Amino acid sequence: MSDQIPTHAKERLKGLRSSQHSSGVFTSDFSVNEFLLVRKAGFEPIGLCVGTCVYHVGIQYGSWNRNQELDVLSKAMYHARELAMARMRAEATAMGADGIVGVKLTIKRLEWDEHLLEFIAIGTGVVHGDGHKGFRAHDGGPFTSDLSGQDFWSLLHAGYRPVEMVMGSCVYHVAHRGVLSGLGTVGRNVELENFTSAMYEAREIAVERMQFEAAAAKAEGVVGVDIHEGSHGWQTHVIEFFAIGTAVLPLDQEIAPEKIADPIMVLSVND
Amino acid sequence: MGLFDRFKGPPAPSKADQEAAARRQADILMSLRAGRVPTSTLERLQGAANGTRPWIATLTPAELMITRSHGLKPIAAISATCWLHYGWSWTLGHAQGWETALTRLREEAKAAGANAVLDVKMRTIPVGPEDSMDFTLIGTAVKVDGLPPSAEPIIATVPALEFVKLLEADVVPTGIAIGAHYEWMTDWRNAAANVWMGNTESRPLSNLWETVRQRAHADLRAHARGQGNGVLAHLNFSQMFEREGGENQPKQYLARHIVVATTVDARRGVPLPHDIRMVVDMHAGGTPLTGTTRHHQSYASNDAEGAI
Repeated sequence: MSDQIPTHAKERLKGLRSSQHSSGVFTSDFSVNEFLLVRKAGFEPIGLCVGTCVYHVGIQYGSWNRNQELDVLSKAMYHARELAMARMRAEATAMGADGIVGVKLTIKRLEWDEHLLEFIAIGTGVVHGDGHKGFRAHDGGPFTSDLSGQDFWSLLHAGYRPVEMVMGSCVYHVAHRGVLSGLGTVGRNVELENFTSAMYEAREIAVERMQFEAAAAKAEGVVGVDIHEGSHGWQTHVIEFFAIGTAVLPLDQEIAPEKIADPIMVLSVND
Repeated sequence: MGLFDRFKGPPAPSKADQEAAARRQADILMSLRAGRVPTSTLERLQGAANGTRPWIATLTPAELMITRSHGLKPIAAISATCWLHYGWSWTLGHAQGWETALTRLREEAKAAGANAVLDVKMRTIPVGPEDSMDFTLIGTAVKVDGLPPSAEPIIATVPALEFVKLLEADVVPTGIAIGAHYEWMTDWRNAAANVWMGNTESRPLSNLWETVRQRAHADLRAHARGQGNGVLAHLNFSQMFEREGGENQPKQYLARHIVVATTVDARRGVPLPHDIRMVVDMHAGGTPLTGTTRHHQSYASNDAEGAI
């Protein structure tokens, strides 16, 4: 993977390697609280990891009256995210990070071409303070996670560690209704069964794909899952279902549930 | 002036007033050119520093409590501005503008006899001539009990509470670092514009982005190196544009990236000394335990008006 990194990146990453010494500089997009909590959890930030991909999304139209996955679009969203994430992870690997915390994955549309989407993955590479390698992913590379510094601290104190940021995507075309079927429902409340089943199928595909990724990462479960629907400027009736979360494994030294402190209830009276 | 004199409207400025204003303007200009604090500002800051004038702080009362309990004393609200025209480069102009303002802010902090400037905020007024921007920094200069004034006061973009938390974890927020880079790519082979219908990555544009981002970050680190051993980048700004080449001319692409960060000097392996306990705020706002997203999305309409 590291031979894919351009020369400048390598220069940058070399600079970072020496950041272990007092002369080097680490970079991070942590807030102050995140920074303090990540350090409290025993990790040190070493550098921002960024992966970018500008992607030309192919063209595909759904048949007017069919529920179907638009696999060209699905694959595009998948492939482009994959490239951005892989590049980010390659940067982390090259700087010797044990993991990446607080990954933000964003998609921007480039204004001059409706088919061009820009995918950016950005997160902070961290190393374990005592050089413990047990936090790495199953392939020995850095773990990835979209958890904030606060969530990262909480997860470790819940007895789990992040393994991989997993996602599932499905771009789906929901069938249009025929003119005649519309006439038949005048004056009645009717379930639009094909719409319902379209939602079911598309969501299911997205979640299954995410679960598959978690299984491939040899994870026990996935936390912080968000399932959302979006459209990136496609025709109406085309929806992307996107599931994203962090696959987790129990810590090597498991924390017994009764050892986890109950949160204290407070009431702030500010407003 | 009596209390009710204000209703009479301002008196016409006398010749002496006009001359005084002109002198002050000239003094500001000459002082800034010479890298000094303008005389009237200097008098105000020195007065606040030696206690002959009241201190001025942008801190809230709660912040005042935190600063007092940690041995910090506010001296004066200080500020610096550089209004810059981008005659040459928009991207690099941003780095230049902030750096100039930062240098001037540091001069004011020195003049106030401060050890640090807290809660430094970056501001811009959205008016003014085209292709220009004002780069303004505002913060509160403070001194630390028992320390002599610093020859190189630290500039902290964080509020008082975070400032003391960082210090407790042996992390010093030292200043602001800016990284900026832009690049034009001339697309001679028309490789970035795609005519094929299928899925494909636009390698030229991806590479342009990667290069620009990485150089901006390298610039950030170079700029941060003099101030500390790490940065917390709170602002990443990037843009990409396409420019039509005209007849028989290739298209051009501009990518630019600006990173603004708080520099810190952190000793590794010194965690926050406080215990961290989980609390649930019973207040209505979202927490990770009560959920931060809305549980109803289906009726976004009129419930804001409240109950009957």
